[in-house]
Amino acid sequence: MLAGAVVLWLFVNGAFYFMSRIRPGRFDQTYAPHILIGGGIILPVVILSALLVWGLGILTDPRRPGDGLVVRVTGEQWWWRVEYWPEGATEPIISANEIRLPAGQRAEIHLTSDKVIHSFWIPALGGKMDMFPGRDTMISLAPEKVGTYRGQCAEFCGASHAWMAFSAVVMEPEAFDSWLEAEAEDAVEPAGDAALRGRQVFLSEGCGACHAVRGTEAVGQVGPDLTHVGSRQTLGAGRMALTLEDLTTWISHSEALKPEVKMPAYDLAPDRLDDLARYLEGLK
Amino acid sequence: MAEHRPDRNEDRHEFSEEQASLFRITFGPLIWALHFLACYGLVAVACAKGADIAMVRILLLLGSVVALGGIGWVGYGAFRQWNVVETGDFVHRRGHAEDRHHFLGHAAFLLSIISAIGVIFVSLPLVMIGGCQ
Ligand code: HEC
Ligand SMILES: [Cu+2]
Repeated sequence: MLAGAVVLWLFVNGAFYFMSRIRPGRFDQTYAPHILIGGGIILPVVILSALLVWGLGILTDPRRPGDGLVVRVTGEQWWWRVEYWPEGATEPIISANEIRLPAGQRAEIHLTSDKVIHSFWIPALGGKMDMFPGRDTMISLAPEKVGTYRGQCAEFCGASHAWMAFSAVVMEPEAFDSWLEAEAEDAVEPAGDAALRGRQVFLSEGCGACHAVRGTEAVGQVGPDLTHVGSRQTLGAGRMALTLEDLTTWISHSEALKPEVKMPAYDLAPDRLDDLARYLEGLK
Repeated sequence: MAEHRPDRNEDRHEFSEEQASLFRITFGPLIWALHFLACYGLVAVACAKGADIAMVRILLLLGSVVALGGIGWVGYGAFRQWNVVETGDFVHRRGHAEDRHHFLGHAAFLLSIISAIGVIFVSLPLVMIGGCQ
């Protein structure tokens, strides 16, 4: 593609240079039809045909069947509901706002959406695929290199569309397997007094009406599953970093950080807010 | 109208003939449009209903051959009407009835070329993808 662009650039600028420097002045009219028909019709038809055939040839690649792992991603406003279905699984492993994939394997990403059209895109790993309410689409990705790649919603979906991102973390297959095992577990017990108090705040403030933390009475499904929120790399679907500081900012200013977000901003006493953030950060 | 006797109806006659070839210039694009519609419609319905896409594909590819044949036929007729081999006229500068006649043939001929390219482009996915992925 780059080579093609370079050739095109050289050609256009070369023609311009030729016209303006090498042979300024009027051209012989008799060339005109040849240039028009050759350069305006025949050449584009040939180039476009070749590109079309080439493009169709690689079009089926992102729809190739995967090696076993299926990740179901649902576009929400403005976050990502994620389910892992390893080969043979009868129920999913629930997560959110981050996608982990084993390197060297082709995983199928099954996509859908709750209300409006979103588009799933990890530029470093493949093309985009739209997510439609009530319809399933699929893109399969075969990442090769271990690393973290940014994913982004690529279809305007409302006020906080630009803040709808995620990390795609590609891991060694063994590391991925043990991560997935841990992800399937219930939430860890809070470590330390502050975190224990934080869990109390979480439950008493009604966060559990929207968020699930498996192993506690919080089973809400409106917002992202927080069972292992502390192990994610970002907070609020790529909005911030997952640090104590950003956690407190998020809880107290969610509506300012993401316009029209469904999560209300909480005006908590500083010590309670701090405990809450510690609890969430500890949910590895 | 061989002897060109002045005739009050001469213009009208010629005009009605041009009306026919005015229609004729749409035939190439029309075949293209119908082919396009058949391809997109049938494939969409077949994939949504889980019908046998292989059959649909063969059917549509046959349709492509027929469409190309039809366009070729229209194009050939238009080429004869243009009559460039005898006149060598690419420009149709004079506004005579005969020029109009040739011009419409010329236009129909070019349109059938682009229609043929269109039909080929629309058929390519049938050849190269051939499924509902
Ligand atoms: C009315 C429903 C609702 C309530 C109540 C609610 N949240 Fe949320 N929360 C959401 C939604 C929706 C999001 C996703 C927002 C986004 O990223 O667009 C979210 C996101 C979050 C995130 C970021 C998750 C991630 O994966 O990055 C955290 C942390 C969080 N909420 C904590 C809390 C806490 C703590 C409380 C209680 C004090 C709470 N929420 C109350 C709906 C709610
Ligand atoms: Cu979106």
